[in-house]
Amino acid sequence: MKDILKITLPLVAIFVVAGIIMSVTYRYTYPVRYQAEKKEKEEALKEMAPDATDPIKVAGTWSADNKSYEYYQATAGGKPVEYIAETAGKGYSSFIKMLVSLSPDMKIREVKILDMNETPGLGDQVLEKSFLDQFKGKVLSQIVLIKGETKENIQAVSGATYSSRGVTNGVKAAVQLLVDKYGAGIKTAAQEVAK
Amino acid sequence: MSNNVSLGTLFKNGIFGENPVFRLALSLCPAVAVTSGVKNGFLMGVAVLFVMTMTNVTVSLLRNFINPKVRIPSYVFITATWVTVIDLVMSAYQRTVYKEMGLYIMLIVAFAIILSRAEMFASKNKLLPSFVDGVGMGLGFLLALMLLGVFREFLGKGSFWGVQILPVKPLLIMIMPTGGFFAMGLMMGWLNWIDRKFFGGTGASSGGH
Repeated sequence: MKDILKITLPLVAIFVVAGIIMSVTYRYTYPVRYQAEKKEKEEALKEMAPDATDPIKVAGTWSADNKSYEYYQATAGGKPVEYIAETAGKGYSSFIKMLVSLSPDMKIREVKILDMNETPGLGDQVLEKSFLDQFKGKVLSQIVLIKGETKENIQAVSGATYSSRGVTNGVKAAVQLLVDKYGAGIKTAAQEVAK
Repeated sequence: MSNNVSLGTLFKNGIFGENPVFRLALSLCPAVAVTSGVKNGFLMGVAVLFVMTMTNVTVSLLRNFINPKVRIPSYVFITATWVTVIDLVMSAYQRTVYKEMGLYIMLIVAFAIILSRAEMFASKNKLLPSFVDGVGMGLGFLLALMLLGVFREFLGKGSFWGVQILPVKPLLIMIMPTGGFFAMGLMMGWLNWIDRKFFGGTGASSGGH
């Protein structure tokens, strides 16, 4: 009995002290981290919509894979200049979180990866400009992943097919959503001009 | 190891004589996993260097307090505490570095090399030698990862630290996990050969995981 106490008490003491150290660190770093993350998100949004002059507003939330994401409307003088949606796609080893921005004619303006945990050296090649720039100017029907040379669609990075697919699926879901929400208005506006 | 070994010898021992990866053959899984590029290897090495030093120092300070029968949980928990503290502090104050290194920091808790240094060295030695051992071993690990990273990134992608040097990718397999084992084996054999040929050593004999 005495032996058990002799062994246990120092161990418990170590665990308690370590726990206190960790929780105190958490207590003091949490607000700083929260602020930093919030600021980063705002900056990322601003980068996605360089033409916007008014503050970017949250237009609503949508969900995919049981997770909730926000979408935004960027305006300049009351007129919409960009639609942005938060989205994610399942890659090889993680959910790849992204921001996708669309111009008012429903073409992709930019895709930006916010967060991912893909294999270093292989999956993380989807971060490269040469892959992400393929999305620029594409419309919903063109967002198809192809293994091989393509100009019309999206070409997968060799050695990183799963990660490429994750990005493509995430982007597709976001574009689909924004077209459903705002695409109809665009069409009627275009028809009015045609008249 | 006794206390009359000079600190300089201890320091060198971590880098050359008992290099964690090439000599002790410990923590090979992370060494294979993250060395697909020089930069990844470097960042992981730096993170290990920090945690290793802090763990060695703490274990050395508490060595008379920790009951030998429960030493392993104590060491693991000490490592986990430092890893968590570093992770939290970094994610709050060093966002840019954290974005690059955050992936690796949490993995360090389970590294064989850190546990083995706590067990083999820090638990039997005073504060200063333990600190020097931690820094030496950490640097040894860092250098080994960078060496593997240079080798694999050059052959696999034709680049160095993300900068393209060759116009082609000579051996794509080198950045895959398979290539990691090839690179590790070749490098270990090559270093043993150098050791035997020029320094009259016997080469590495131990193994781990």
